[in-house]
Order: sequence, then structure tokens, then C-alpha cells
Amino acid sequence: MSGRHLLVAAEAAVLAGCVLLALVVIVIKVVRGQRQRRHEAALRPIRPALIEVASGEDEDGSARRALTATTGATRVAVDEGVADFLGKVRGGPADQLVEILRSHGALREAVRLLRHRSPVRRTRAALLLGLSRDRGGVPGLVEALDDHSAEVRSAAAHGLGLIGDDGSAPALLGAIAGPGGGIPAGVAAGALLELGVGIAPALREALASTDSRTRAVAAHVAGVGSFRSLLPLLRDLLAGDEDLTVREASAEAIGAMGEARDVDVLTRHTNPGEPTPLRRLCATALGRLGEPAAVPTLEQLARDPDPRLAELAATALVGLGPEGRAALAGLADTPGGATALTLARLQGALA
Amino acid sequence: MPATDGVRILVADDDADIRDLVEFKLSQAGYTVHAVPDGMAAWDAFRADPPDLVVLDVMMPGLSGFDVLRNIRESEHREVAVLLLSAKSRDSDVDTGFAVGADDYVIKPFSPRELVHRVNGILARTRG
Repeated sequence: MSGRHLLVAAEAAVLAGCVLLALVVIVIKVVRGQRQRRHEAALRPIRPALIEVASGEDEDGSARRALTATTGATRVAVDEGVADFLGKVRGGPADQLVEILRSHGALREAVRLLRHRSPVRRTRAALLLGLSRDRGGVPGLVEALDDHSAEVRSAAAHGLGLIGDDGSAPALLGAIAGPGGGIPAGVAAGALLELGVGIAPALREALASTDSRTRAVAAHVAGVGSFRSLLPLLRDLLAGDEDLTVREASAEAIGAMGEARDVDVLTRHTNPGEPTPLRRLCATALGRLGEPAAVPTLEQLARDPDPRLAELAATALVGLGPEGRAALAGLADTPGGATALTLARLQGALA
Repeated sequence: MPATDGVRILVADDDADIRDLVEFKLSQAGYTVHAVPDGMAAWDAFRADPPDLVVLDVMMPGLSGFDVLRNIRESEHREVAVLLLSAKSRDSDVDTGFAVGADDYVIKPFSPRELVHRVNGILARTRG
């Protein structure tokens, strides 16, 4: 076969592949469209009742009874419709919607579906259990944190956050370094922050974890959640953790909730010998701390050769009351000071 | 209960569930509600017949809720009350909403009962 024939054959193969791909896309769209139309058709007769319950207007319970009494395809459509509304309303209407799902056995079914072979079904089940805020879903969701699908693991973590049971904190923190890459740090932190103040012991343990990502998440959550009892541990991590991200998260946490004595702690880590990202974070943290005692340090940093550090330090001064703003006025001749002054004036922080 | 007779509310949300729910809830509270599915339709409806209050979703195709709100505040009917109803829950989102001129900001998922209380409160303040 000549080169020309080979080229023609290759072009034909590519063309056939494109046509096949287009056909697959069309078929998928048609099937999805049909499924959506069937769902809407099944839901249409009972949608007014669903709206009535979701809006909290079902005072005599007749709409709930009508939705609970559905069967077959209509019941499936009701459960899907209820699940859609659960993410949109809260309070009494959400509780009533969950009762409909419970009466249909949909929550028990969701626990079972956490072991379904399709990751899509497992993900949807995890989200439904979370939206239901039913504590009965916790054991299954904790187990799903080790699922081999990353989507399922994230959905399980999100679901645990929605349920808000502080007993799930150790499992969430443990799952950060779990199999297959664990759960994303942001997802874990978001879920943990939903669990309330009862997670302090779990955070304390996580700050001593051998996994650096777990320590960093614990430090971040400690700061955002204002777990002040963890400050001594955070100071230790800032001073000596082997991982820079953990040190950075600790500096941010100390800045968010630290005490007057933390001016010295943070100042130590603005020294030129420290990594540049850490120096910058400590400068910002000194501003967040809100202690006027940080003014001399920030004034000095505002003249640092690192322009970004100088700008952050000057900006931090804005939040330190009259002393900070007076110091900033004296920095108008520096690039960082000029930028900070402009920003502060734009934000109305200065006259 | 505030007087709701004759008070007209424009609701804009691209989520049919939310749109239908808010329309139903506010209608049950006695308001006359007109619901539209996107920002452009909201702005058109506002210009054609300015309502007493607008409930705006923030993230909508075409014109966002912020865009519609800006347009309203630059129009001759800039005094019309606007409540933003959004899933955008960060402090900076709420700050932006009020900075652009919202009278109130309700975060989704929301309590329908609370929404009616907020609407009643805004109208009591703005209509005297």
C-alpha cells in the first residue's frame, strides 16, 4: 500500500470516528431528553403539592399526604423533586420534605446505594443523605470517605458537613490522607467547619498527624473556627513544622484569633531568613491580629526590598487603629505605602 | 400583618423550582407576583411596569442580578426596593449586593417564611 493510500485510509478512519462520536452524543442527548420529559410528565400532576410543602404552606398536611401516597414512576419523580428542593429551602419545609423521603424508604435506599457499582449513583446517594441531614446516614457516609471514586469521597465529606454530627470529625480528618488521594483539603475544611465547636479534640489530634496536609487543614479550620485552645499547638507548628504550608496555615490561624503575645510570635517569622511566602503571611497576620504593638514591625517591613511584602505590611497598618494609620501616613513616599494609602482611601478607611 | 393588597412584586430566578416557590409563597401572603426566568426579562418587565419590590436571583444567564440592580438604581424608578436571593454566601458577595444598592440579601437555601417576613419588613420601611 502506498503512502497516499495510507493517508486516505487514515482520513477515512478519523472521519468515521468523528461520525461515530457525533452519533453517540446525539443518542445520549435524545435519551437524556426523553428521560427528562418522562420525569417532568410524572412530576407535573403533583408539582403543586410539592411547591405547597416546600413553601411551608401545607398547613393541613393534605399535600404531604398526597405526595406520600404516590406509587411507581410518580413516586420516583416525587423523590427526585423533593431531593431538588432540599438543597434550596431550609427550616420547617425542609423537615417536611425529608419526612416524605423517609416515608418512601428513600433514605434507607440511599444508604444501600452507597455501595452501588455506579459512582454516579453512589455520589447522588451521598448528597441525598447529606441534604436530608439525617444522622442515620453518618455511618454509611463515613465508610464512603474511603470510596475508590474521588467524586464519591468528596460527596460523602460534603454530606457529613451538612449533617453536622461532630462525631464524624475524626473520620473526615483521617480521610484527608486516605486511599486514592483522600479528600480535597478545601472539601474537608468546609465540612469540618460545619460541625461546630465539638471538634476541638479531633483538631488537636490532627495537628499532630504525620500527614502534612492533615495538619494544614486542621490549622486552617482552627483559625477560621476560632479554636483558641489550640493556639499553643499552632505556635509550635509555626515555629518548627517541616512543611511550609502547615507553617503558613498556622500563621494565618494565629492572626485570626491570636493574643497580644502573638505579636512577638509572628514578628519572629518576618525575619529575612524565613521563606518569603511565610514572611508575607506573617505580615498580613500581624494586621489581622489588630494589636497596635505590631506597628513598629510593620512599619519596618513596609520598607522591605520585597515589594509585595512591603505592600502587605503597609496595608496591614490600616487595620491597626490611629497608630497604624499615622505610621502609614509616614510611608507615603514608599511604593508599598502609597499603594496602601490609595487602597485605604478607596475603601473609606482613611479620610 | 402589613397591607399586601395591590402590592406588586417582580420575581426573577432562572431556577424554576425557586421561581415557582417564591411566586406561590408571596401570592399566598397576598401580594401580586409576576415571575420571570432571567435577568433580561426582569429588566424588561421592570421598565414596562415598575413594581413595588423586586426579588432578584444573583446568578442568572444574560444579565446577572447585580446588573439588573445596577440598572434599577440608575433608572428613574431607582427608589424601588430590591431583595437579592442568592446562593452566593461569602461575606464579599453580600457586601457587593448591598454596595450595589440592595435593600436586603437572603442566602439560599432559605426559609420561605423568613423571606416573606423580610419582604414585609422592606415594604413597611420603604412604603411608610
